[in-house]
Amino acid sequence: MEITLKGTGIDGLYVKAAGRLDLDNAVEYGAKIKDFIEDSVEVITNVTLDFTEITFISSFGLKVILELYKQLKAQEGSLKLKNVSEQLMNSFKMVGFDKFLLFE
Amino acid sequence: MFKTVKSKILITAIIMLAFLMSAFMFHTIISRMKTKQLMVQNYGFSINEYVEDINDSIIKAEDNLKSLSLIGSLFYKTDRSTELTDKVVTRIFENYPNSLGGGIWFKPYILDKNKKYVCFYAFRNKNNKIILDKNFASKEYDYPNQDWYKQIISQVTPERNIVWSKPYYENLGSYTMMVTAGTGIYVDGELVGIATVDWELSDVIKKVSEMKPLEKTFSMYDKNKQKIKNSFALLGNLNYDNIIATNDPYLNNDDLVGHSLKEVPWYSNNLYAITYITYHGKKYVPFYRKMPNGMVLVICIPKSEMFKEVDKFYLYIILALLLIGFIIPALLYLSMNRYIINPIDKLINIAHKISKGEDIEIKIENPEEFAQLASTFDKMTKDIKSITRERAKINSELSIAKSIQASSLPSIFPPFPDKTEFDIFASMEAAKEVGGDFYDFFFINETQFMFLIADVSGKGIPAALFMMTVKTLINNLAQIEYEPKKLIENVNRKICETNKQGLFVTMLTGIIDINTGKTSLINCGHNLPLMKRADGNYEYLQLEPNIPLGVFEDAEYQVYETVMNPGDIIYTYTDGITEATTVNNEVFGETRLFDCLNSIEDNNPKIIAKEIRNSIMKYTDSAPQSDDITMLIFKFNGNQNNVKTFKQAAIMNNYNTFYTWLHDVCKEWNINDELTNKLDMCAEEIYANITFYAYPEKTGKIEAELRKIDNNIVFEFKDEGVEYNPLEKPDPDINLPPEERPLGGLGIFMVKEMANEISYRRENNKNILTLIFKI
Repeated sequence: MEITLKGTGIDGLYVKAAGRLDLDNAVEYGAKIKDFIEDSVEVITNVTLDFTEITFISSFGLKVILELYKQLKAQEGSLKLKNVSEQLMNSFKMVGFDKFLLFE
Repeated sequence: MFKTVKSKILITAIIMLAFLMSAFMFHTIISRMKTKQLMVQNYGFSINEYVEDINDSIIKAEDNLKSLSLIGSLFYKTDRSTELTDKVVTRIFENYPNSLGGGIWFKPYILDKNKKYVCFYAFRNKNNKIILDKNFASKEYDYPNQDWYKQIISQVTPERNIVWSKPYYENLGSYTMMVTAGTGIYVDGELVGIATVDWELSDVIKKVSEMKPLEKTFSMYDKNKQKIKNSFALLGNLNYDNIIATNDPYLNNDDLVGHSLKEVPWYSNNLYAITYITYHGKKYVPFYRKMPNGMVLVICIPKSEMFKEVDKFYLYIILALLLIGFIIPALLYLSMNRYIINPIDKLINIAHKISKGEDIEIKIENPEEFAQLASTFDKMTKDIKSITRERAKINSELSIAKSIQASSLPSIFPPFPDKTEFDIFASMEAAKEVGGDFYDFFFINETQFMFLIADVSGKGIPAALFMMTVKTLINNLAQIEYEPKKLIENVNRKICETNKQGLFVTMLTGIIDINTGKTSLINCGHNLPLMKRADGNYEYLQLEPNIPLGVFEDAEYQVYETVMNPGDIIYTYTDGITEATTVNNEVFGETRLFDCLNSIEDNNPKIIAKEIRNSIMKYTDSAPQSDDITMLIFKFNGNQNNVKTFKQAAIMNNYNTFYTWLHDVCKEWNINDELTNKLDMCAEEIYANITFYAYPEKTGKIEAELRKIDNNIVFEFKDEGVEYNPLEKPDPDINLPPEERPLGGLGIFMVKEMANEISYRRENNKNILTLIFKI
């Protein structure tokens, strides 16, 4: 899975990936974001996930997002999801993530 | 132990022997007694002979005395010729060797008043020459004063004219023991002198002291001329009651001579008593003999010595008897063992071994009866063996035939694993080793599938061979012409051509197009099949019966045409099922088969067959199977293009192959993206679940099946892992604030949310999870 991560402490982290956030990829996706935040010199608390090219999300993907949300929230940061398709939105709604996640 | 032949014979023998032995023993004791009596008698005879000898001497002595007395009286009366008298006296003694001497003694002064001593005496000198001795007529000897003279002269009377003196030792000549017999010389009744004969006792005494049984006494035990030891004798004179001689070893014999007989302890007055005497602790048999001159001879023979040989002899006899008493039973026992018991034991032993299956030749040569028995037994054994061998051969041939027959019927199920259009199961259980029933099924071409079940008339090998012929024939002819009516008529014709034995076949066959379900059924005189429609019950199909194959060459066969829909089942069987019989001769019957089938919920042909088989077994119970039990069950599933299956190892990082397959199917079935997405999400969750929970330790297979039935998608997952029901997981609370929400538990919750129906079951060690989605 191809993941693009860019950003600074001020602007926050911008993550763009394409494909499926499923059993095969979700863990890698989460781990790369986590590694980036930890390796960064500046403190990153705001993360934006670009879902434009994400075609599928399973419970494994949702689990990664909940974990990331919890981590950022603990640092009083924020997690934004951008361009979530309607179909994927149903999944978020199904598990009640729509109640706390920010969608753009 | 007394029940065996051996002991019985032995006991009988011992009893008989005991009787025999007793009789022998009795006889022996009696004869021993008799023998002893005879011996005593014989001893008596021997002693008598001896006494005779002494008697002869005495008589001779007395005769000589008489002669001397006569000469004396002649001398007195006649010319008194001294010369002549001397000669006569000398002659007398010369003729009487036992006498030492003797003579004529006149009373003093009876011949001449001036002449005191007149005597004629002669004696035997050392050279056995008779010498006249004139010295006795002298003052020095003065014979009238000698004891013997006085004794004799005082005792003689005209009536008792021979007198024996006491024994004495002659001290003039030879110092031998003497006894003098004397008689008076009477002239006209007047005693004028005496005549004497000196009788030497030494011979007699010697004989007495050497007293022994004669050799001929009892020749039987005297072969070594053994003498009886320790016997002793006594010679005495009853007239003077004195002892002449004895050799009793316990007495001082020389001192006793001349003493009273009463001083001998074993002497008895009763001469004729035949009793044993006990002397110095020993028993003796005494023999008393009295002689005419008043002498008595007693001989004591020790009883033990006397009967020693007899006792020894009888002891040997008794010992021999006892020995025989042991030897005969022993021999009997041995010979019985050898000739009766051993052969019996041998036979028993061999019979035992043969019964265990050992191959042994029985050989007994002796005795003849057993030899015959053994050879009969051997023959019998061989006969049994050969019969058994033949039977085993037949059995093995039959079992080979059975396996040939069994292998000729398709027996691997499912027979066409890649064909999902139908399920088929068939089984045949032969009543005998080889049966007349058979079934078969095969693809005529890609779509035409033929199945058949048949029953050949007759049983055993001929039926099996005929069955093989028919089976092959159908298979071959079907390749040429599969139009059902024509095919069956061809088959019938061919069977009729080759069938010389008048065998026939009943058969039910079906040819089905597996794409369309179009089915042709032909019943050739067979049992009516049952059909179950997918949504209904089993019903008997009322097919045109037709006649069995192999009866009429030109027979026509009516075909029953129908269409089978997915889920429809045809149940075919042979009469072994409907005619399965109980011990009370009640048959299973068609009604019971009908009820039984309709009570089976499962539609799997294999399970149906098993259930029917169990019902029949339960019904017939212990009754033996009378006929082949054969059935063939065909289930039509329809075109299976609406079913897709997937199978792979449940490994975490190869889920992508799974969703690729899923997306392909969805695309093929024109399933919209939303449902595809749902299926994908569910698939992934369940895939992960199986990987994590069903196979916690080792990896296994995951099977998935997608079925499109009308407006439903059925999504089924199977795994062979540990029992795991994901539906038991509690749902997460989605209304909790995000910080409190646990990370896990989302997936299965989502599956439940998305699927219209969801169910879990554990079946054949498999976890089966079925999801249903509405299109």
